[in-house]
Formats: sequence, C-alpha cells, structure tokens
Amino acid sequence: MLLLATYASSHAALRAERALKAAGVAVELIPVPRQVQSLCGFGLLAEVPDGALLQESGAENLWQVGEPQAGHWRRTYEPYL
Amino acid sequence: MSLICRTLDARGLPCPQPVILARKALAEGGFDTLEITVDDAASRENLLKFGAYAKCLVEAVEEGGLTRIRLTPQGLAPAPAQADACPLPEGSSGGGPVEVVLLSADGIGQGDPDLARLLMRGFLYTLTEAERVPRRLLLMNSGVKLAVEGSESLANLQKLEARGVEVLACGTCLEFFGLTSRLAVGGITNMYELAGHLMEGPTLSLG
Repeated sequence: MLLLATYASSHAALRAERALKAAGVAVELIPVPRQVQSLCGFGLLAEVPDGALLQESGAENLWQVGEPQAGHWRRTYEPYL
Repeated sequence: MSLICRTLDARGLPCPQPVILARKALAEGGFDTLEITVDDAASRENLLKFGAYAKCLVEAVEEGGLTRIRLTPQGLAPAPAQADACPLPEGSSGGGPVEVVLLSADGIGQGDPDLARLLMRGFLYTLTEAERVPRRLLLMNSGVKLAVEGSESLANLQKLEARGVEVLACGTCLEFFGLTSRLAVGGITNMYELAGHLMEGPTLSLG
C-alpha cells in the first residue's frame, strides 16, 4: 500500500529518509499535501506492505494514499490506523 | 545546377562558438548548404537546435567521433538578427499562466543549502501532481544538477517530461560542472535558445 508518513519536524523527516533509504526502503520526500494536517511541511511517501517500518522511523502519523481521481492529479489521503 | 556547400571546421571550439560561427555564416549567405564539423556533444546538440530554430533543413552525420551537421536554409528562414532578438510570439502579452519555469539553482532561496535543496525537491514533486504544468523547464547554473544521474529530483523531472514538459539544461553549465555525460533527462541547450524561451511568455524563476 502507498503510505504517507508525517513527522514532527523537517529534520526528523530528513533523518527518517536517510535511515529508511539506508535500510533499503524506497521512500520519497514530498511536501505534505494541504488536506493532511502536520506541523512539518515534509513527509515520506512509501510503497510498503504495512506501516511498521514508517512508524519505527519516528513518524507521528500515517496516511493511506489513494490513486489520483479521474482527470485530477491530486490524491486522496485517509488516516492509516 | 550544382549546389554550393560552405564548410566550417569547429572542432576543438568550446560551446557556444560553433553556434556563433554558424549564425554568422547564415547571416552572410552565399551558399545553399552550410556544413559544420564539431567534436563534442554539447556543440552538436546546440547546432541541431539552432538549425531548427533558424528554420533550416537539418542533417547530421556521425563519423569517427565527429559530427558533420548540414544546415540548409529554407525559404522562410528568419534573419539571424531577428532570431537573436527573440521576439515575443504573436498574441503573447507577457501575462497569463506560466509557460516557462527557470530553475537557476539546485535549491530554492538563500540561507541553509540543505533547506534550499529540500524546497526544490518539494517544488518539483508538487509540480508533478499539479493539474497544469508549464511548457518548458529550463535549468541553468547549478539547476542542471537536478537533471543528472543520482539527482533526488530525477524521477520527478522524468514524470514531468512524460507529461509533455520540455526539460532543457544549459550546456555551458553542464560542461562547467563536468556533468555533460551524466545528463539523464531532457536535452542540452544554449544561451540563444534559453533567451528565446525566456522571452516567449510568462516565466517563473526560482533558484
């Protein structure tokens, strides 16, 4: 599943990115979309089987990312429980 | 009637000198076809683009590490002086949606370079998700580092290119940083073309 992890700060997001990439997890650092509430402006997007690795990286919240709607490039974000 | 071919040997000349020589020769005229021989990739790309811009029939022949580029002016070729002046296209008012995005650095803004690069990565990702994308993305100075192998933004630039955005990197800048052979998305361009595109219409400049 495609998950977005949000962090407490940009530094925390960068640290998590380095750690996850070093562990072989493909992640993409992206600006947190406006519909997702986060103190930090950047989060990590990752295609993972579940949220465990992202939670271990220090994520504050996880969001399940939907495919872009037809004719619309923005994705949907639902809280991942 | 035999065709007149003028030849120019531009081997060893740094970019953009071959383009300047070609432009001068086209301005002088007196031939049917101009053949320029070059020995580096940036000059070859620039001449091919210049030829198309100058509305010439363009042919390129690769031979033993050299490229011979033949430019045959067509009837509708603009005067070179006009080409240099890069006039605004008809109907272009300078307003309206952004057509061209100029990235003149690999980060956005001054201050902490890590933050600047983070912001640039974020901007390019956001652009891939945007409903409307610019026609062209021009990369100059350290902005060319965004388009080379190993760049964190490479995948996003490739996505933008797949959406129809023309990505163009400054050949002089690639050469300056020793990155010409590592360009992984888009094409190489020169100052004439860059200046032309920057004058085409509304431009957003970041860097």
